[in-house]
Amino acid sequence: MNPRRVVITGTGAVCAAGRDPPSILEAIRAGRSAIAPIRQWDASGWPMQTAGEISDLNPRALVDDRKLHKLIRRTDLFGLYAADRAIDASGLAAYRAALEPEAALEYSDRTGVYVGSGGGSYESQYDYFPLLTAAQDKLPAFGRELSSSVNPMWLLRTLPNNVLGHIGIRHGFKGANACITNHSIGGTLAVIEAREALRTGEADRALAVGHDAPIEPQMVLYYHDVGLLAKDTIRPFDARRDGSLFGEGAAALALETEDSARKRNAPILGEVLGGGSATDAQGLLAIRDDGDALARAIESALADAGIRAAEVGMIAAHGNGTPQSDASEAAAIRRVFGESAPPATAFKWAFGHLIAAAGIIEAVLALESLRQHVVPGVATYAVADPGCAGVPVAAEPQSPRGDVALVLCRGFAGTNAALLLRAVS
Amino acid sequence: MAARRRVAITGLGLVTPVGNDVAATWAALLACKSGGAAISLFDASGFPVRIAAEVKDFDPAEVIGDRKLLKFANRSHGFALAAAEQALADADIRPMPATGNRWGCAVGTGMMGVDFAELVAVHEHSAAGGELDATRLLTDASANNPLVFCRSQSTTGLSLLTRRHDIRGYATSVHTACASGGQAIGTALKLIRRGAVDYALAGGFDSMISPVGIAGFCLLSALSVDNEMPERASRPFDATRNGFLLGEGAGFLVLEEWESARRRGAHIYAELAGDGNSLSSYRITDSPPDGDGPIQSMRQALADAGATIDDVDYINAHGTSTFMNDRSESAAIRAVFASRVKDVAVSSTKSSMGHLIAAAGAVEVAICALAIHNGELPVNANLREQDPECDLALVRDVPERRRVRIAMSNSFGFGVSNSCVCLRRPDAVDGAGFRA
Repeated sequence: MNPRRVVITGTGAVCAAGRDPPSILEAIRAGRSAIAPIRQWDASGWPMQTAGEISDLNPRALVDDRKLHKLIRRTDLFGLYAADRAIDASGLAAYRAALEPEAALEYSDRTGVYVGSGGGSYESQYDYFPLLTAAQDKLPAFGRELSSSVNPMWLLRTLPNNVLGHIGIRHGFKGANACITNHSIGGTLAVIEAREALRTGEADRALAVGHDAPIEPQMVLYYHDVGLLAKDTIRPFDARRDGSLFGEGAAALALETEDSARKRNAPILGEVLGGGSATDAQGLLAIRDDGDALARAIESALADAGIRAAEVGMIAAHGNGTPQSDASEAAAIRRVFGESAPPATAFKWAFGHLIAAAGIIEAVLALESLRQHVVPGVATYAVADPGCAGVPVAAEPQSPRGDVALVLCRGFAGTNAALLLRAVS
Repeated sequence: MAARRRVAITGLGLVTPVGNDVAATWAALLACKSGGAAISLFDASGFPVRIAAEVKDFDPAEVIGDRKLLKFANRSHGFALAAAEQALADADIRPMPATGNRWGCAVGTGMMGVDFAELVAVHEHSAAGGELDATRLLTDASANNPLVFCRSQSTTGLSLLTRRHDIRGYATSVHTACASGGQAIGTALKLIRRGAVDYALAGGFDSMISPVGIAGFCLLSALSVDNEMPERASRPFDATRNGFLLGEGAGFLVLEEWESARRRGAHIYAELAGDGNSLSSYRITDSPPDGDGPIQSMRQALADAGATIDDVDYINAHGTSTFMNDRSESAAIRAVFASRVKDVAVSSTKSSMGHLIAAAGAVEVAICALAIHNGELPVNANLREQDPECDLALVRDVPERRRVRIAMSNSFGFGVSNSCVCLRRPDAVDGAGFRA
């Protein structure tokens, strides 16, 4: 036993397809997509009208803290909910309650929190619209009327690191931490950095969380204008694919050193084996056709984990459904795996692209898939694209080749992250 | 066990309210010059706070020349590009086609959002009544302008830096409010230590001196309202302090694996020796009165550096000049240093520069490197009547000559994150044989 091996002792997830990992995976295995017409605003006249929204949202049912809701936004609600579920499942906080006061303090100081956050929204600035109207766009009046128009907590509600802070406050965790605002790879990097903190002894336990709520009018419009959005369906690696669609939600992993988990007889669901990240450095939106940085991220994850490509049992691809990203992702997979890549899937077709939470929710679902010994089919996949050859994706379920999943994630600024997980059944 | 990789600081770049490069900033700090003045970037006449520490006479095009790239940059990104350029030139090394994969980038980034002019434009076209009309947004020029989009993403700064310098390794952006810069430097330290990269460009950048930025802090009553004396508004640890002075700017460092920096004969300012992070988990805006949280981050940073309190000669304090922070931080420093507290020199350079928010930690780590390099400690400016609750050995009135073995930089953020970074003088490293 390696005392600093990093194991997974709890998970949580919420997205349009469900509010816990098993029910989300059940929807995926049943071929059900939760992509539906946008309801947060009247999008009936819009050229793009669908996304994976979490419907029938009752904030108090997700996080039962009336006062807190005045201090957080929609994205934070999801993050805190997923974190609570992972903490409950792992028993991380409950275990502390039984410790002597001195030991409990030490336990809290040695429990870290790592969060991948969307980094902000356009809508948060709209809170100034009524003031701009009242001030008739005149700055002196804007300044004078400020405190009578805008919520004094505006800045706090807008902080990108709210989930980090409120997990700390709600659960009393006080250890090593980070809030990573690195677009789509933020959630994956939260897992990678949390694992490093445990591996190097900065902490003994850590929560890794990713959360985002990108479905807002101005964001949707920009993504549409730069050609990233599909008409109505995400078709990863399919010849007919025409873009991605937004989703929203969060996921969390409770991580511990094996030592910490064994000491308190925690359920061990799996292990984080390693991770890697690299960038194409081509600018905010541009990516290389050869998938160079993604291939390097995979290679460094394999080296970090100390395993060979042949030991990977399944790939949870980024598969965001844009023509260029999927083709270059396939190029990277071919470079690493040649013609013998393990069975692959992609999850976004079922609930949309969760941006900062995308990589981490897909890691949680990959772990759940391995535990159920299945590589779920992609229900929207039908027509193979020769440009995506080498990615063994299928409409029907496949069987994993082993107990290790490679989870891929790509974001703006040409960033790429690869994560390797092992499931314990 | 193999020796842990050490990390050298070999290049510095600064764009601050008191100077647009390292030399000018350092000279201004030693001279206690203040960056505070009446706000010139917009008409602040109606605001409760009408002062800030702005970066002055700055044109990023003069520094980096690439006007096309700057079309994708907002004000804070201009600071970042300029400070990064200085740091790489200072280090005399930059990513090459053969080495770009081994370079990483870690940045502390401010909050995302559009510039105020764009917000006003969207308001005029699509929300004139005060509420957004989503249908009107479809024909809104700002909401359909890809340049506005590209300038307003949380990874815009990261994308500009990695593209310009061809940095192709692990690249990341962090945000823990006022602790962002320190956490970015700590992230880069760990990337080099664990071998994910061999070199890193690390820093922070921010500019919140805008109607919405000032408004956010005004609403929280966090800023000094000394509109008639902007140069004295920031007075950390003074009994009359009444809030912080909002600054802006960027600080960047070039970091390298120690042995390879030595081999190429690089000038090493200091070892980036240790990093500590904690959560206060107290209240989202309030500092814990007893320093709990900051205490742990300082102790961890020292332990991580393989140092003890006896090795520390200088602390660049977070020292925001708010009532709560300065007392909480004083309590933390007292708790950590105990009887040694009188021997450790402390100053907050926010007394001159103001609070650079997401850039603050990175700029102040660079100041610590300069303190070690120059053997001189910058002043805690504007200190007249020291708060008895802040009984630290503050650097008063004039810079202090001192050989610094270990310097510490504190950064504590809204949202409860605390960061502490330790730097060690280079001649204390060679031959020291630290083993992890």
